[in-house]
Amino acid sequence: MVTKLALRNIFGSGLRTWLNIFILSLSYFVIIALQGFFVGWQEDATREMKEWDLAGGQYWQQSYDPYDPFTLDDSHGPTPKELQEKIKKDKAISILLTPATIYPKGRMRNIVLKGIDPQQKLLKIPTKHLRSDEDEISCLIGSEFAKKIDIKEGEYLVLRWRDKNGVYDAEDVKIAHIFHTTVLTVESNQIWIPLSQLQEMLDLPGEVTIITMKDENYNKQFQGWTYRNLDFLLADLKNMIKAKTVGSSIIYFLLLFLAVLAIFDTQILSIFRRRKEMGTMMAMGMTRPKIIQLFTTEGALHAVFAIFMGAIYGIPLLNYFEKVGMNIGMDAKEWGLSGLEDALYPVYGWKLVLGTIIFVFLTVIIVSYLPTRKISRLKPTDALRGKMTKKKVD
Amino acid sequence: MKKIIFISLLIITHTFNLNLHAEYLDGNKILKQIDENMYSKTMVTTSRMIVHGKRRSRTMRVRSWTQGDTRSFSEYLSPPKDAGTKMLKIDDKLWIYNPQADRIIQISGHMLRQSMMGSDISYEDMMEDNETSEIYKAHTIGEEVFNESDCWVLKLTAKTDDVAYHTKNIWVDKEKIIPLKEERYGKSGKLLKTTEITEIMKIDKRWYPKKFVFKDVLKKGKGTEFIIESIEFDVKIPEIRFSKAALRK
Amino acid sequence: MLKFLAKGLMRDRSRSFFPILIIAAGVVLTVLFYSWINGFIGMIISENARFETGHVKIVTRAYNELIDQKPYDLGLMNVDKKLNYLNQNYPNMNWQPRIYFGALLDVPDENGETLQQGEVMGLGVDLFSDNFERNLLNLENALASGELPQKQGEILLSQEVASKLKVKLGDNVTMIGSTMFGSIAMYNFIVSGTVRFGIQAMDRGAVIADISDVRSFLDMKNTASEIFGFLPNYKEEKTYAISKEYNEKFSYENDEFSDIMLPLREQGQMSFMLASVDQRTGIFIFFFLFIMSIVLWNSGLMNGIRRYGEVGVRLAIGESKGHIYRAMIIEAIIIGIVATIIGTAIGLVFSYLLQHYGINISSLMRDANVIMSSTMRARVTTECYFVGFIPGVIASVIGACFAGIGIYRRNTAQLFKELEQ
Repeated sequence: MVTKLALRNIFGSGLRTWLNIFILSLSYFVIIALQGFFVGWQEDATREMKEWDLAGGQYWQQSYDPYDPFTLDDSHGPTPKELQEKIKKDKAISILLTPATIYPKGRMRNIVLKGIDPQQKLLKIPTKHLRSDEDEISCLIGSEFAKKIDIKEGEYLVLRWRDKNGVYDAEDVKIAHIFHTTVLTVESNQIWIPLSQLQEMLDLPGEVTIITMKDENYNKQFQGWTYRNLDFLLADLKNMIKAKTVGSSIIYFLLLFLAVLAIFDTQILSIFRRRKEMGTMMAMGMTRPKIIQLFTTEGALHAVFAIFMGAIYGIPLLNYFEKVGMNIGMDAKEWGLSGLEDALYPVYGWKLVLGTIIFVFLTVIIVSYLPTRKISRLKPTDALRGKMTKKKVD
Repeated sequence: MKKIIFISLLIITHTFNLNLHAEYLDGNKILKQIDENMYSKTMVTTSRMIVHGKRRSRTMRVRSWTQGDTRSFSEYLSPPKDAGTKMLKIDDKLWIYNPQADRIIQISGHMLRQSMMGSDISYEDMMEDNETSEIYKAHTIGEEVFNESDCWVLKLTAKTDDVAYHTKNIWVDKEKIIPLKEERYGKSGKLLKTTEITEIMKIDKRWYPKKFVFKDVLKKGKGTEFIIESIEFDVKIPEIRFSKAALRK
Repeated sequence: MLKFLAKGLMRDRSRSFFPILIIAAGVVLTVLFYSWINGFIGMIISENARFETGHVKIVTRAYNELIDQKPYDLGLMNVDKKLNYLNQNYPNMNWQPRIYFGALLDVPDENGETLQQGEVMGLGVDLFSDNFERNLLNLENALASGELPQKQGEILLSQEVASKLKVKLGDNVTMIGSTMFGSIAMYNFIVSGTVRFGIQAMDRGAVIADISDVRSFLDMKNTASEIFGFLPNYKEEKTYAISKEYNEKFSYENDEFSDIMLPLREQGQMSFMLASVDQRTGIFIFFFLFIMSIVLWNSGLMNGIRRYGEVGVRLAIGESKGHIYRAMIIEAIIIGIVATIIGTAIGLVFSYLLQHYGINISSLMRDANVIMSSTMRARVTTECYFVGFIPGVIASVIGACFAGIGIYRRNTAQLFKELEQ
């Protein structure tokens, strides 16, 4: 009964109801769109990082520390037997790292030289371009780094390194392929060459620095190796996106505040205008809580209709974003953020949509309810005369 | 730098007693003869090092004390900014003293890869053990005229696999048995560094390089020039010279 | 009539108080939002200008080729002469020579043996001759402990470096690097204070010393890596004009050690970044104003609708429809202006507070290599004083206009009846 009455009442007010509903629907839309954007970002970035670098987790040779370049010289060891089996079955790949020097334009630059199996299929790094059967060394290099040292595909780069005994060697390596990736950890200040060649160059047959696993949580302990699961490897990314999400909530709150302001405004005015109506209803035997319920329902119905209205334009738009991606208008790599492509594909889970709807809905109910508290101290006699009761009824 | 001087001297010192024979002398023999004859227990040199920078060249004067191939001490005399800088090498350790900071710092890690005093020599190069005929096998691979001198061309190959430069080619003056040119190669045969002697001098009946240029071939630039001003052999060097205490004096 | 209407508004609280409250609230938000966005753009520019780009900067052509490595050996010579020229020809600008360098920071134990060693990024700036750089780099505020260098030989370490290397205030530390010409260089500093820049890239490993110390450390007498130029107020066209003028005079393509002046927008990724930021903030502002306008239009509309009863009475006593309509609109304008002024005032107070205190967002920027402060601040500009009028006055008046149309559409009896309700 109350709902029906409330429905009639709010549609009775025509345009302004629709405006309120429209604004509320925008809140739904923007919150869902932005949240989806961040979820999408996290998923994109996580996927990219897994595809390019981490797969299901990594074993690090125990002295390896990516933040301390001094450790690189000693960070290598033979692959544990069990993992060798995995590698044979394409369930893992191993990577060897060593510090090296390149001489772009005759100026020294220290880099990290990485060896990877050209046949590997676990990571997206286009290793098929690496040829280990030729005399010369071919290498892969990220597009960003290539730009920095001003080198193009097919050109040669002077590479100098020292083997495990400190013997110098140098070679002109051919840039077999320049690849584009959003994952900085496989591109900045580094060069990829075939693993077997690097092992030979360093005189470290069978030794590697990192073993990347296909299966997540393959958590066996091996002497001399530290297992790093995805939680560890992706921690930075997760934290950053979490912080971004929190930061962007300023926008939701502004928006929601606006929408709620409109509802609040409507409620206060309708309560003010409809004193006589309330008086009449009371006179006809409606209890005060019932009237409060009616007015609150009226407010809350805005939120319900906003869902529908939001759905009408929101679903096609969000679908469109999901398919085409949101152009974020910048190359995020320039910002040093891994895994962010130029266009971002948002992801809208049911949890996100439902959560947003419930959140907005509850907010609207509270805001609709707040002004109606006045009714609880309204005397029917005052109301009928079109007055608000100033003092509380005993 | 000391090392370069040292090597060059080492090789050159032995030219004196060497008798030349015809055609394709056994390289090992040449090296061996050099080794047998050249060894002076100690050596004190004063030299100039000219670094050709991208913008301007700079000359540094250095006095060095060397004992065997494991210990050496050098002190920079000029220019004022570098004067008083001292380096001590004992086996595979290197300490540098800087008078401005009055600190002794052991050079390690990636600092070793950097160029020494802006020259084409890295600290790593300095740390190399001094090569002798024990480290390299030599083959005479030809004869050539270098700087108007008839030379044997020797190919040196490291006997063990922990020698910094796996192969070297040296051009040895047939008469004076002084290597006039040296090329250092990476394991897979890429030329990395060259030394060319442009002037030699005779001291105490021995031939010495007076001027030579050391160059890191991979780097752009003109290389680093060395000029030996004076040299003394078998001087008694007090033990204290090769101690950290001497760095601060 | 204006006086009459104003009186009416003042006496009838329901006609003035609520609308003003709502509109003012909307205007507060608008002003805040606008100054926030302003702050964001301004921050990107000023943070980059302060640490990376200046409004313009001068380097050698050779340096510019390798600028991401900051090769101070390819730095500028005869800096005093250049500064003289610059100060004479661009007297309203401020020119600051700086040296960026990488070095090892060595912490000795009591015997002078190395205890800790770590890589640092050094910045040599003029700390002593005036307060310009100290203020620009916000050093007083960035100070986490100790004090700024007061005399030569003192150095500021970033908090992170200090704690990583276990350095205390007053400790002696040695900087090891190579001079401009490649010689080994060492220089002793006393740690006078630690700083937290709020810029991840700097907090990770920065140290700051006076440029005179850095010059003697790196044998860079009368040289600098870069000369930064700052306008009193950043104006993009000006930076381009000055750069063009300077380069025509001093930059030669065939001399790699001739100077080149780069305007802020032409450096690194600034052009790209600013373009995308401009675009996005434009969309944001438009979107926000749009929604805000709808809300306030709605509120204006409601104010009108509420008064249909009153309108009925007024029509009944013989007022013309046009007169009532105009009166209502003038009222809306008065309300809009008053509310906007109140809202703008409050909004500005909050904006100034946000400008002063800022909000810490350090975790957002963890990975970014674009130098950015981890404290986001609002920035109040002249526009902030006016931006509120769009939704505050225009939108609410348009709302009133629409509501007033009802007066023409309904007849007197109907309107009068609404009074009865």
